[in-house]
Amino acid sequence: MTGSRNNEGGRLFAGGVDWVSVGIYLLLVLMGWLNIYAAVYDEAHASIFDIGQRYGMQGVWIGVSLFMGLVVLLLDDKYYHILAYPLYGLSLLLLAATLVVGREVNGAKSWIFLGPVALQPAEFVKFTTALALARLMSTYSFSIRKTGDILRICVLLLVPMAIILLQNDTGSAIVYTAFAFVLYREGLNGWLYLAMIMVVSLFVFSFLLSPAFLLVLLIVACTLFQALGNGNWRESLVYVSGVALLTLAFYFLGRAAGWGFTLHGVLLAVSLLSLIPVAIYAYRARLRTVYLYLLLFLGSITFTYMTDFAFGKMQPHQQERILDLFGIENDLQGAGYNVNQSKIAIGSGGLTGKGFLNGTQTKYNFVPEQSTDFIFCTVGEEWGFAGALVVLALFCILILRIMKMGERQMEPFGRIYCYSVAAVFLFHVFVNVGMTIGVMPVIGIPLPFFSYGGSSLISFTLLFFVAVRLDAGKRRELPVD
Amino acid sequence: MGRIRILQIVVVAVFAVLASRLFYIQVLDSRYKREARNNVLRHEVQYPPRGEVYDRNGEFLVRSRESYDLMVVPRDMKPFDTLLMSRVLGVTPEKIKRNIARATAYSRRRPSVVLPMLSKEEKSRLDECDFPGFYTVFRTVRSYPRKIGGNLLGSVGEVSPRVIERDSYYKSGDYIGESGVELAYEEALRGVKGVKVNVVDVHGITKGSYNDGEFDTVPVPGAAIVSTIDAELQAFGEELLAGKVGSIVAIEPSTGEILVMVSSPTYDPDELVGRERGNHYMELLGNPRRPMFNRAVMAKYPPGSTFKLVNGLIGMQEGVVRPETTYPCHNGYTVGRGVKCHSHASPLNLIDAVKTSCNAYFCYVFRNIIDNPKYGSVKRGFDVWNEYVRSFGFGRKLDSDFIGELNGNVPTSEFYDKRYNGRWNSLTTVSLSIGQGELGCTPLQMANLAAIVANRGYYYIPHVVRSVEGRDSLDMRFYRKHYTKVDTKYFEPVVEGMWRAVHRDGTARVAYVEGLDICGKTGTAQNPHGRDHSTFLSFAPRNNPRIAVSVYVEHGIWGATVAAPVASLIIEKYLTGEVSRPELVEQVKQLNLNYSYYDRQQK
Repeated sequence: MTGSRNNEGGRLFAGGVDWVSVGIYLLLVLMGWLNIYAAVYDEAHASIFDIGQRYGMQGVWIGVSLFMGLVVLLLDDKYYHILAYPLYGLSLLLLAATLVVGREVNGAKSWIFLGPVALQPAEFVKFTTALALARLMSTYSFSIRKTGDILRICVLLLVPMAIILLQNDTGSAIVYTAFAFVLYREGLNGWLYLAMIMVVSLFVFSFLLSPAFLLVLLIVACTLFQALGNGNWRESLVYVSGVALLTLAFYFLGRAAGWGFTLHGVLLAVSLLSLIPVAIYAYRARLRTVYLYLLLFLGSITFTYMTDFAFGKMQPHQQERILDLFGIENDLQGAGYNVNQSKIAIGSGGLTGKGFLNGTQTKYNFVPEQSTDFIFCTVGEEWGFAGALVVLALFCILILRIMKMGERQMEPFGRIYCYSVAAVFLFHVFVNVGMTIGVMPVIGIPLPFFSYGGSSLISFTLLFFVAVRLDAGKRRELPVD
Repeated sequence: MGRIRILQIVVVAVFAVLASRLFYIQVLDSRYKREARNNVLRHEVQYPPRGEVYDRNGEFLVRSRESYDLMVVPRDMKPFDTLLMSRVLGVTPEKIKRNIARATAYSRRRPSVVLPMLSKEEKSRLDECDFPGFYTVFRTVRSYPRKIGGNLLGSVGEVSPRVIERDSYYKSGDYIGESGVELAYEEALRGVKGVKVNVVDVHGITKGSYNDGEFDTVPVPGAAIVSTIDAELQAFGEELLAGKVGSIVAIEPSTGEILVMVSSPTYDPDELVGRERGNHYMELLGNPRRPMFNRAVMAKYPPGSTFKLVNGLIGMQEGVVRPETTYPCHNGYTVGRGVKCHSHASPLNLIDAVKTSCNAYFCYVFRNIIDNPKYGSVKRGFDVWNEYVRSFGFGRKLDSDFIGELNGNVPTSEFYDKRYNGRWNSLTTVSLSIGQGELGCTPLQMANLAAIVANRGYYYIPHVVRSVEGRDSLDMRFYRKHYTKVDTKYFEPVVEGMWRAVHRDGTARVAYVEGLDICGKTGTAQNPHGRDHSTFLSFAPRNNPRIAVSVYVEHGIWGATVAAPVASLIIEKYLTGEVSRPELVEQVKQLNLNYSYYDRQQK
């Protein structure tokens, strides 16, 4: 027994482990540590091992993480399959408990204090959810095309999301949308994604364009695509010009009569009324796709008005963040302050950066949350574009390698799990880095391996090493076959 | 395309978006580098102490005193106790709020002055409290130990936006000389500001020097200036003119150095220093006698009879009169509308005409000059006269080192052509012969005339500064003799007349001091505002003169009433160092002149 385990262990470390990925992981963790050191550097406490400082603590967390990573590698891979549901349940309990006994930090009640150690259960739930999702979807009878199974997935993802939302930690909740990535790999209907992309673009456009212009765009786009499919160019042209003429006619008549018509209002009324003749036309010409575009048009219009409604329901700081992202409002002293300072820090880094510990913007606290959510500012400022590119490249390679690990798996469990890890990493990197350079709204989620914090570092480490362990397991079995 | 491939593309695309955006803000857009510097660098100006001013005997006229300006960077400000600050500084909370609002309107990032010129005590009280965003900078302010020479020395004030726009040296809150010597020698006195580039954190707290002080510069203190003014004499002059409106200018003829430049009424220059400056300034502005109007260089007065010297000299040079030429006087000049004269012996020669200040005599001389047949026309003759007069320094700035000098006025033939439509002659302009009419001279120009006569034909450009620390010499123009168009030999008869006026029972007997050999010429100038102006031109001693003085007292009646005694006292004090006639001093001081012209305007 002992002998065989040693034997297994020996082979495990000899070939199965993807050492390149582990190397990238170690590199990223080390870089993260150095950047936290630089971000909160204090001459009075210059030792990176001073645990009175954040960098000292991060050193401790790195030690703990590496130990846990080692434990993960040494455990048999079947445990992850077995423990998936129990861990998921346990973590949800912990999450729910946070609602009761947790403490509020920065407006989110997501922390549990165990003596001197602060724990953020939401971080670990990502890991357990990934395991549970893999377990669920790798069940023998599971099919992604069955509505019941899709509902199960929804429940599995929505429960932690809901609890986290109750904690008022919107950022961490949104992370769960990343699992859509996995579902696509596993064959979820592609139209859903297309629809999602359309919804998102509509959302963005509804902020960037005036309502009247957006409406014109929708009418033209729907008619155009319809005509592309059906070839009824003449009728389409007649329709568009008819709508235009009627709109203008009513508009000017209304104005002349002094009824205070707006162009947008008239156009909306005319286009909605025009759907009746369009429907009649489609029935007579037996063009079924016309109905599809009709519905699409109606749906889009409804959605844009819902967007306005939803936006009105948001909290002011969320509204400001969105307006700021789209450059509609630019209050650099208020809502836009963080992002502006973050952009200044990164932008001032230039091509090669200011050098280690020479970053002025981060060192002198112009950037908020510089060791946690905005840690990438230190990277950008001190290591410049070159350094930032290296970090991004490492993340990109790591994520692609994890996806490859997934593809190498013999069992769907491993594949789904690996894709989940890749999805969570991708989402975190994109949203976190994107927010520091103003391409994403400010959503407070950590940058994997970089942001200060034990919970997130340990949870990302667990996510990663279980993938490596599963991958190593597959290889271990190959020669036996 | 397989789903795996699509997902890989998505991953790469996400990173491409991030990388390209990073490339844009880090490499292409320089805006963020600039803003980063704005964030962390604070340029702290190091003000040099302003140069001090001494009088010709080494006595302080202007000193520099330690002072502090309270500055604010609105962006770094935290809510604070306005009441506490107002108690500490002794100003109203409203004033503090108003000034902070103004500073914020100017710039949130750049420092502005909240309250200038705190005393050392106020500063140390302020240091005990903590007001984030506020700090003090070391400045120097002026103090005037003798409290003399307000208009002469001028004042220092905060630089105006107009100047900042024109001269990049000045920044908001800097001080600049606004008038007098302070303005004329601004560049020497101000020194060179230094700058300390500091790195600050987000709270505006200094974290140290930027790049180990590589971009710092040390302030260079302003140069000290030795003035030509005699503080003792200046103080005496101001004392004598107290309560009167007028001016005294005394020049050392052999150098052009201005010994005294009194413009009365004057003011205590210390009043234009410190935080009450604004109030005092408005008070002075509101004073109908206009104490801030530097009459010594800016007032245009009719020179009156003192101008007869000029006409006499021109006449001799032109050969239309000789010292022994006599003209009759029948209580005046009777041609045309006539010019009145007082009763005296008749006929007179030139010397006695100067002594008795005969109006008729100079009417003859003046008309002889203008109507000189060799020039063919009145117009041409007048132009010749004009050129002579200008060579005496009239009708133009003397180009002294004193800023704000006015031209005065010497009429031209074109002027009369225009006014009389070309139909005029020497009789039309005959009042110029006795220094009336369109003539306008500044007291400085008149003192310069005294110096010219004392020098028998030339002058050095009058100036108020003797030397500037660190400079070998003044501008070369101050070392050059400027000759008039009248030869030296013609001056002696005029000097003789001036000597007789004082010593031989002439118009200026009152100016006589035994042994000083004072030469003088009185003037009584008619003017449209009230009683005649009293004026006196003099120098002493007759040979190798050491001082030339012009005294002009508005509405002082006869030249001999005020101007001559004042000039005599000034000369005596300068030459002997003491005053032997205290009763004359009292008499001058007691003299009550009526300035209804000014005081009427108060209502």
